[in-house]
Amino acid sequence: MSDNLITDAVFQHTARLSRLEIKSEESYIKDQLSQAAEYVEVLKELNTDNVLPTYQVNHKSNVLREDNIESSFSQELALSQAEKTENNYFKTTATINKNK
Amino acid sequence: MTDLNKLTLKEAREGLKTKKFTPVDLVQSCLDRIKLLDVKLNSFVTVISEEALKQAKTVDINLPLGGIPLAVKDNYLTKDILTTASSKLLDNYIAQYDATTIKKLKNAGAIIIGKTNLDAWAHGSSTETSDYGPTLNPWNLNHLPGGSSGGSAAAIAADETIISVGSETAGSIRQPAAWCGVVGFKPTYGRVSRYGIIAMKSSTDSPGPICKTVDDAATLLEIMSGHDPRDATSINEDTWKKPEIRQNLNGLKIGLPLSYFSPQTQPEVKEAILKAVDILKKLGAQILELPDVLDPKYSIAVYTILQRSEVSSNLARFDGIRYGHDRSYFGTEAKRRIMLGTYSLSAGYYDAYYLKAQKVRTLICQDFDKQFQKVDAIIGPVSPTTALKVGASEGQAMFGELQDMLVEPSSIAGLPGISIPCAFDKTGLPIGLQIMAPQKREDLVYQIAKLFEDNTDYHLQRPNL
Repeated sequence: MSDNLITDAVFQHTARLSRLEIKSEESYIKDQLSQAAEYVEVLKELNTDNVLPTYQVNHKSNVLREDNIESSFSQELALSQAEKTENNYFKTTATINKNK
Repeated sequence: MTDLNKLTLKEAREGLKTKKFTPVDLVQSCLDRIKLLDVKLNSFVTVISEEALKQAKTVDINLPLGGIPLAVKDNYLTKDILTTASSKLLDNYIAQYDATTIKKLKNAGAIIIGKTNLDAWAHGSSTETSDYGPTLNPWNLNHLPGGSSGGSAAAIAADETIISVGSETAGSIRQPAAWCGVVGFKPTYGRVSRYGIIAMKSSTDSPGPICKTVDDAATLLEIMSGHDPRDATSINEDTWKKPEIRQNLNGLKIGLPLSYFSPQTQPEVKEAILKAVDILKKLGAQILELPDVLDPKYSIAVYTILQRSEVSSNLARFDGIRYGHDRSYFGTEAKRRIMLGTYSLSAGYYDAYYLKAQKVRTLICQDFDKQFQKVDAIIGPVSPTTALKVGASEGQAMFGELQDMLVEPSSIAGLPGISIPCAFDKTGLPIGLQIMAPQKREDLVYQIAKLFEDNTDYHLQRPNL
């Protein structure tokens, strides 16, 4: 169905939003997305005009608790699984370029 | 003593208490079995020999699971043990804490002997999309075990462990249990804490047991269940307790949805379910055909949209900064799911996909409410077919959704359900019967399943390995 054909531009935009690099050998994913989008068209057969969405099935509303201080990970344990650390902090790539 | 690994939980407990053997004997027996078979089966990603034997020497056998070997799906966080979710992205991740359920099982005396294989990130129904190679079906090594908890189900079927735990989002406990001829008990959504289980589709993720008998699975559910303040969707109830065993099913109405049989259903699967219907009738149940249950095809579509959407959100945390590698380590299946989810949630498409699916979800819940006014429980096949051949899922973007079409509706509605062995096909592959009930009615599921099991011997059969 042409309506559901995911264009190159939408595909690239979705990959960027997903923070994923799609390799050229994985480009068939684009067609599979179109197929999946076509499959779910079946939902249009059902009238949902006056139907509320169900986000949560056991009907719980906001769950609150007292903001008590509890013991948690030590800094050492929290950092133990990071590939890069510096001065007892996680090390990330820079997101702000100071030259700009 | 030989073959201790073949014991059920109940038998193993009796043997330990009467000192016929020790926890070390029991753990060693399972480890020997794993050593012998797992080169072929690949049920385990990680085997924990030394630490398990060390714990077996000091464990208190009076605890409810004291000294019992436990296989854990590798998406449960287990402190100081490699936890990969069968993905290469987490091939270096040593969990920093225990999932709530793991804490409970450990406190009950269970001894973790290994972490079992799954479809990477639990994305699938074959266990062949694991980044660590497929698990094979113990009944026929050319066939798949199902998934995503395929490693746990295969480990139970092959007697590599006494008990195991898996997790289900839409079929991931029941479908591999059916394909491997064992018992898989999926609790009501929120009955068992999700805390510390690598999140897949948070609004349906339900951890639960995979065991050799209904009673064993129920014993595990008792221990795993209960309110957890660390999981906001956890039900505010104490631990679930097994109800009395019924002598018969007199007075119970059980529904059979006609829409759960389609031209794609393997004829032997249909025959097996109709035979099971006869057994349930003999036990006293009244069987009502349900002609107007919503076609499962809508659940496939709802599940596809919601699962991808929640996956794209849940897997956003894997940035390689705090744990694991960076996002280039995601396999193709995960990328495909993240992409579709991001697409469904993105501006311009949200209403057409995500919101529409959540509205149809309401219709699915209402449909179950309507059916449960007529019947106490619903039965059907777990899967339209017996275990498919290795390679069946390759290149099939919707493989899991189609295999799980009969378990997706109840998962979407958060209902409890069980898969129990009810027959074998001509080639000797097991067939599973599922029993579903309204939310929080695990008692009914247990009573029907237990009585069925007590009056049949399918659960006693084991593969020749």
